[in-house]
Amino acid sequence: MKILSFISALCLIASISFGQPEQEKKLKPKRTDQYIHMKGIRFGVDVTRPFQDLWTKGNRYGTEFSADMEIWPNMFPVFETGYERLILKTPYIDYSSNGSYSRIGMDYNFLEAKTDTDRDILFVGLRYGFAFARQQVNQYTIDSYWGQINGNFDNQSYTGHWGEILLGIKGEIFHNFYMGWTIRGKVKLSAKSLTPPLYFIPGYGKAEKGFNLDFTYSLYYNIPWDFRKAASDQKKEAKERDKG
Amino acid sequence: MKRLIFAFTLVLGMMGCKEVFEAPPQALLLATFYNSATNQPMSPVVTAQGVGNENLMMDELSSNNVLFPLTITDTTRFIIWLDSTADSITFIHEGTQKLASVEKGFYFEYKLHSVAFTQNRIDSVRIVDSLVTTKWNENIKLYIGAVPDSVN
Repeated sequence: MKILSFISALCLIASISFGQPEQEKKLKPKRTDQYIHMKGIRFGVDVTRPFQDLWTKGNRYGTEFSADMEIWPNMFPVFETGYERLILKTPYIDYSSNGSYSRIGMDYNFLEAKTDTDRDILFVGLRYGFAFARQQVNQYTIDSYWGQINGNFDNQSYTGHWGEILLGIKGEIFHNFYMGWTIRGKVKLSAKSLTPPLYFIPGYGKAEKGFNLDFTYSLYYNIPWDFRKAASDQKKEAKERDKG
Repeated sequence: MKRLIFAFTLVLGMMGCKEVFEAPPQALLLATFYNSATNQPMSPVVTAQGVGNENLMMDELSSNNVLFPLTITDTTRFIIWLDSTADSITFIHEGTQKLASVEKGFYFEYKLHSVAFTQNRIDSVRIVDSLVTTKWNENIKLYIGAVPDSVN
């Protein structure tokens, strides 16, 4: 019900947005330069994870951090890691699951920088994600004419693996501060078979589904440490010492 | 801008909707009544109660079938009044716990092995389908004889 409400509300917003008078589109040309524009490592925090409860079934909370850097022109290796917890309480079942997850992958930027200081990117990315988690059915109830039967399942540990394809933007809002969003399609690769079956994989979502769609919105800070310059300076100093 | 504020308010309102979770399904044994003389379906006035349970399952309802809830033990016994004539019917079965889904919860399905009964009104019983599932398809046919003279 929540998911349906969320989607229909998004459609409504989209239709309202499309109804606005069209503004002059300013598309940036495709980036073809071969320069590194973002120095240092960029760390981020996903601000949507603690509020997933608003659009997902059950009570789902989490935190997620990320790190990326432009290691080759337009190519950004990314590492994301987080923790999620889901509690599902109905009159018939009390289920909980929690665990940590990580993703590694690469983003590719399509935008060409207008200036040397322009660091806004529009990117597509690929991720491989894996989670270590555990689930527990604290209590289940079977109701019938003969009365209630209660039971439970102890802690069960499991792992899950999935792949992601994503589209997103990151824009510099202040010097070295960024914000951006991604839309992610997630495909389940494998998950442990358990009784009761897996319901939730941290970082992936509903384990019953082979494909999940997700949305993230993050804030980033780029630590302005030019490690390449530092490395080349060190080399230069070493050479000069050798010559001396 | 007003429309945007309205849309966001709507989003927040819709997100606040209460989640609805369905109850798990129930596997019930469906018994259908037939006239033993004509083999035609019939609808006697039925009252039914599980032995060991104070609550009536059915209370003087004219019906051509009864849905019997089985227990998780291997024997379930009922007293059934057909047009005010009492019979007892005992089901020997085994139950298996199933999961509908994590959101819905668990339920039991059964394999019916045999049926024992008294013959005040029930003439005979035929097992049609021994698997008692959540689909509630016909499991047994109860052939009903004429109302005994003592009742008349």
